[in-house]
Amino acid sequence: MQADRAAPRQRLEQERRALPFLLPALGVLCLVSLYPLIQGVSRVFYAYRALSQQNVFVGLENFRLLFQDPTFARAFLNSLVWVATSVGGMFFLSYILATMLNSRFLRFRRIFRTLTLIPWALPGVVVSLTWRYIFLVNGPLNTVLAALGVANPPSWITDPQLALWTCIAANTWMGIPFVTIMLLAGLQSIDRQIVEAAAMDGASYLQAQWHVIMPSIKQVVLIVLTLQTIWTFNSFDIVFVLTKGGPGSASITLPLYAYQNAFMYYQAGYGAAIGVIILLVLVFAVVLYIREVLQ
Amino acid sequence: MRLHPAKQVLLHVAVVVSIAMLAFPIVLLVFNSLKTEMDIFTSPMGAPTHVTWENFRHVLAETSFLVNLKNSAIVAFSTVLLSVLVTAPAGYALSRFRFRGRTLFSIWLLATQSFPGIIMVLGLFTVLRTYGLLNRLFGLVIMHTSFSMPFSIWLLKGYFDKIPTALEEAAQIDGCTRLQSLMRIVLPLSVPGLLAVATFSLLLSWNEFFFALVIMRDNAHYTLPVFLSRFLGSGGVVQWGPLSAAALLVSIPVFVLFLLGQRYLVSGLTGGAIK
Repeated sequence: MQADRAAPRQRLEQERRALPFLLPALGVLCLVSLYPLIQGVSRVFYAYRALSQQNVFVGLENFRLLFQDPTFARAFLNSLVWVATSVGGMFFLSYILATMLNSRFLRFRRIFRTLTLIPWALPGVVVSLTWRYIFLVNGPLNTVLAALGVANPPSWITDPQLALWTCIAANTWMGIPFVTIMLLAGLQSIDRQIVEAAAMDGASYLQAQWHVIMPSIKQVVLIVLTLQTIWTFNSFDIVFVLTKGGPGSASITLPLYAYQNAFMYYQAGYGAAIGVIILLVLVFAVVLYIREVLQ
Repeated sequence: MRLHPAKQVLLHVAVVVSIAMLAFPIVLLVFNSLKTEMDIFTSPMGAPTHVTWENFRHVLAETSFLVNLKNSAIVAFSTVLLSVLVTAPAGYALSRFRFRGRTLFSIWLLATQSFPGIIMVLGLFTVLRTYGLLNRLFGLVIMHTSFSMPFSIWLLKGYFDKIPTALEEAAQIDGCTRLQSLMRIVLPLSVPGLLAVATFSLLLSWNEFFFALVIMRDNAHYTLPVFLSRFLGSGGVVQWGPLSAAALLVSIPVFVLFLLGQRYLVSGLTGGAIK
């Protein structure tokens, strides 16, 4: 930075040279990210009137309607549950799996590690329809439950209490490979001697996890958690294919409700307003994520 | 340190069970694709009692699968190509040059990952309509490329950072331009990074659903994930045999390429792309 300030002419020269290399990326970014963002956000001030078949300026009316809309409240709460439990579940299960895969007492580590990646390569749509099959009333899960002696296994997808949880299960399953691989890379970078020294000093297993291992992989943990929070909050295909947000709006999430408004009820402004709410909720995660990556 | 033999056995059992849980849904798909509807109904999770290829024949001969496959292939491979062409120079600029707005560019790039699909798609409608790209595969290619940019540029910057500048300086003394030194020195040394970008973009584009669903207007332009969701239908009786066969046919091509490329993707991810 100091050197930059000391030699403005040299920096100008560097900028002149850098520009052609950046131009294609800048072009794509402006065309499909900057301009659409501005254009999309500006939609929140308009509403479609069926009578005149026109978009009219309504100011902040869409937001006022949002806060009175019980389906929006449902979608908002569902989204919070969906993110907290999916990301929490992914992290918990992946941490255990990564710890096991990192053990030097494990044979065939490379093969196991590659097999862990399997769900990552599947399209979200395939994952959802597979889980929809697993959760069928007469499907595999209930067959197992019946065999275990459960008298009345539930109808998972059509039960308002359970529908969202079927989506959470599928999403957690799909996210495990990415989180596991990232955490494993973090764990591999820790010097084993430090952990062993902690054990020698009398630290219990959990103490060593919390006081030695967690601080060493803090950055990877933060990046994985923030990224997955962003991805899961914006996720569309799992819920769309598994439950369509139903029954009723029992399992609806914000991106799905935004889609329904914009493309089924022709209320683009209302859909965009939901999108702005998503963006506002995510700001904290995004700032944290960018700070960690740029460090 | 040694581990008690019983504990070591337990460790292996736990890992095998975890992997089985991750692979089990795919085994179900394979079983169902080879079963008759009757067979699926009577034993929802067992192996096929007698193998039938009828489900695959049905998907290939009596649905629009091949049309949608062609769309997916065009979109995915164009996305891979465009991603590499756009992200390699940008990663190089971030790695080698100091310029005003460098931090701002990085922040913007990373922030794009959080933009809600609904806002982007509503805003994009105007752009795509203006340039006549609505319902065109190329519109989707540009979208997918922009999704792959944050990860890809970051990953390549990390790769380029590790290549000593001395190599390039020597070449520049011999009269190489910056572009030539990127093409002839830096890129050949970054092949694993380029393969990671290719694998990532391929996976992203092939599997992407929301934009493919919303931007395309008719079946002739749909990609495979949209084909699948329409195959599943909305309510009514689902034909799980043909659906499973279709799901496998959609997944297999990229699954194979993923297995070939995962090595680079994993080392790119863990070796500096994200950190």
